[in-house]
Amino acid sequence: MPVTDPFRQGLERGWITHDGSRLEQDLTLETDVAVIGSGAGGATSAQMLSAAGFKVLLIEEGPLKTSSDFHLLENEAYASLYQEGLGRMSKDGAITILQGRAVGGTTLINWTSSFRTPAQTLAHWATAHGVTGLGEQAMQPWFERIEHDLGITPWALPANANNDVLRRGCEQLGYRWAVIPRNVRGCWNLGYCGMGCPVNAKQSMLVTRIPATLENGGELLYLARAERFEHNGERIARLQCQALDAQGVHPTGRQISVRARHYIVAGGGINSPALLLRSKAPDPHGRLGKRTFLHLVNFSAARFDARIDPYYGAPQSIYSDHFQWQDGVDGPVGYKLEVPPLHPALASTLLGGYGSENARRMAELPHTHVMLALLRDGFHPESTGGAVELRGDGSPVLDYPVTDYLRDGLRRAFHSMAQIQFAAGAAQVTPVHSDARAAANLDEARRMIDALRLEPFRTRLGSAHVMGGCAMGDDPRQAVCDSLGRHHQLENLSVHDGSLFPTSIGANPQLSVYAISAKLCDALAARLAQSA
Amino acid sequence: MQRRDLLRFSLGASLFLSTASLVGCSAQTPAAGYQVLRDSDLPALLALIPVVLAGTAASEERVLHSLDHKLAALSPEMLKLTRQLFDVLNLPLTRGPLTGVWGSWDQASGAQVTAFLQRWQDSSLNLLRMGHASLLQLLQMAWYECPQAWAACGYPGPPRI
Repeated sequence: MPVTDPFRQGLERGWITHDGSRLEQDLTLETDVAVIGSGAGGATSAQMLSAAGFKVLLIEEGPLKTSSDFHLLENEAYASLYQEGLGRMSKDGAITILQGRAVGGTTLINWTSSFRTPAQTLAHWATAHGVTGLGEQAMQPWFERIEHDLGITPWALPANANNDVLRRGCEQLGYRWAVIPRNVRGCWNLGYCGMGCPVNAKQSMLVTRIPATLENGGELLYLARAERFEHNGERIARLQCQALDAQGVHPTGRQISVRARHYIVAGGGINSPALLLRSKAPDPHGRLGKRTFLHLVNFSAARFDARIDPYYGAPQSIYSDHFQWQDGVDGPVGYKLEVPPLHPALASTLLGGYGSENARRMAELPHTHVMLALLRDGFHPESTGGAVELRGDGSPVLDYPVTDYLRDGLRRAFHSMAQIQFAAGAAQVTPVHSDARAAANLDEARRMIDALRLEPFRTRLGSAHVMGGCAMGDDPRQAVCDSLGRHHQLENLSVHDGSLFPTSIGANPQLSVYAISAKLCDALAARLAQSA
Repeated sequence: MQRRDLLRFSLGASLFLSTASLVGCSAQTPAAGYQVLRDSDLPALLALIPVVLAGTAASEERVLHSLDHKLAALSPEMLKLTRQLFDVLNLPLTRGPLTGVWGSWDQASGAQVTAFLQRWQDSSLNLLRMGHASLLQLLQMAWYECPQAWAACGYPGPPRI
C-alpha cells in the first residue's frame, strides 16, 4: 500500500507557499508575525500564533522535502537536509556539527528522543542565570501538552540490538537506565529517522505544526535565507532575505523584503545569533553568540559475536543518566549515554583508520555497536562554551575550544562506555580515537584509555545539539533575551529556539525547545492581542 | 621542539596561509563531467583513492562522482576551504614542503601517499591535521554512500517501503 504524503495533498488543496528559488523578481511580503526558522521553536510558535488569529509568515532557508522525497539514502539526505551539506564543523574543524536545514528544521532528521528539561537544569537556570518563570512546576503543563500533541511516549517495542547493549550492560553493572520517549505515531521501526521519515510516523514539524499553520492560513517561504534586519536600535523595520537556488547553496540574486509587527528568530543555535550579528543588533554587553553549547559527544565502538545490525530499528530507545548528575549539577562534567544508528557512510568515518584497516572494521559492521556520551556543558564556571563568529561572507562558524574540563569528561566517558560494553558481552572494545586499538578485555581498555592523548582530531568529536548564543535571563548584562524570550534591546523581536538556553540541557533538547517556545509564545500572543 | 622543527613549522604555516590567499589565482572551473571537481584536483585524489580505500572494491570513477555530488552540496564557504585544501596538495609551492611528495601525484607510490597521510595526522599544525581528517572523511563517505560498497560491509540496504 503506497504511503500517503499529506504535505503534498495540502499543497494541492491550496496552502500558500513561496519557493525562493523560483522567484523571477524581488518580492515584498507583509504579515503580522514573521517567524524565521521552521524547526522545533519556529513551527511551534507559528502554529500557536496562526491559531490565535494572527497572520504568520514562516521563513526557511532550506528546501521543502516531504515523505515522497525520502529514499533512506545517506547521500541524498546529507546533501539536502543538513546544514552546509553535512560539512558544518567547529572553527578548528575538530567537531562535526549535525543540524537540519529544510522545512521542519532539525526535527526532520533527529532521532526522535524526547526528554523533558531536567528539573536540575531548570533550577540551575533560575539560580545561576536569572531565568524566571520557567521552573519545573511552571513547565509541567507545557511538557504534558506537547507530549500529548506529538505522541511522545516511551518506546513500547523491544529496543534494537544496538540499544539493547546499553540496557544489558547497565543492568549487569547495576547502573540506571531507562526507555527513551519518542515523538512517533505508527512507527515502522525502520531506523532511518536521520534521513527523513518516509512514512510520516515521526511527529516532526513537517507533519504537525507546519501543516496546521498552513491550514490556518499562514504562509511558508522556503529557500530564503534571512540575511539581516533593518532597525534603528529599538525597533525592527523590516527583514531582508536572499532567495537561494533549488539546492539551497547559492543566492539567485532575488531579494525578499518582509515587513511585520513582530519578528521571531528561531534559526537554532549558531544561525540565530548569526542573523543578529549580521544585523548589528544592539549588544551593549557583548553577549551575542557567546556561551554556545554542544553536548560535546565522543564515541566507543564494540564488536559482538551476535549480530547487531546497527542500521535497523528505532535508532535511540535506551539511555543511561547514571553519570549525569553524580558529581552535582555544577561539578566535573556529567554525561548522558545513548547510541547512534550506524549506516555505512557515517560508520566509515566513525570507525577510524583508512585502507585495509578501515575496510576490515567496515566488514564487521553487522556485528558492530557504537555508544556515545553527551557531555553536559555550561554548568561549571570553567565550561563557558563557544562563540559564534561571522566568516567573510557573513556565514557563521562556531569557535568551540575543548578545554581540560571537557577532556576530563571525555576520558571518564570512554571508561564508562567500555565498561558497559564489556559487561554487555562485547568481544572487543575500541574507543573512537586515532591511537586506539581493539581491546579484548576491560583492563586492557582501561590502560589504553588512560594513555590516550585527547587532542583535537585524534579524538573523534561530534555534536547534534547546538544550544545557547542568545541566552535568556533577566539581567541584560548577562543575557541577550529576557525570560520571556524578548530581545533585551529590540522591542519587536523575540527568540524562540534552543539558542535561548543559558546552558546545555543535559538531554536531547527537542522537547525543551517545543515546550519553552510554546510557553513563551502563549505569553507573546496575549501581548500582541493586547497591543493590537 | 628543536629549532629545525620550529623553522619547518613556521615555514609550513606561512606557506599554507599564503597559498590560501593565492586561491583566487587557481582555476575554479569544473572538469568535464563534474559539477565542482576541477582538473587540478584530480591527480592527488586519484593517488589517494587506492590508499585510503585499499581493501575495498572502490572504483576511482565512482568515488570521484560521489565526492563531486557531496562537494556540490557544501556551503560556499566550506567548498572554498575544501578547494584550498586541494590547492595545498596541488600547487608546486606547497606540495613538496607540506606533503613530502616532491614529484607529481601521478608518480607518487602508495608508500609515499601513506607517509604523507601519517605526516599530516601527526603534524603539529592544526590545519594539516584538519586536512588529514577531511580527506579521509570525504573519500570514505563518498565510497560508502554508493550501493556498490554495501555488500562488503554486510549492509543489505534500506528496506522497501
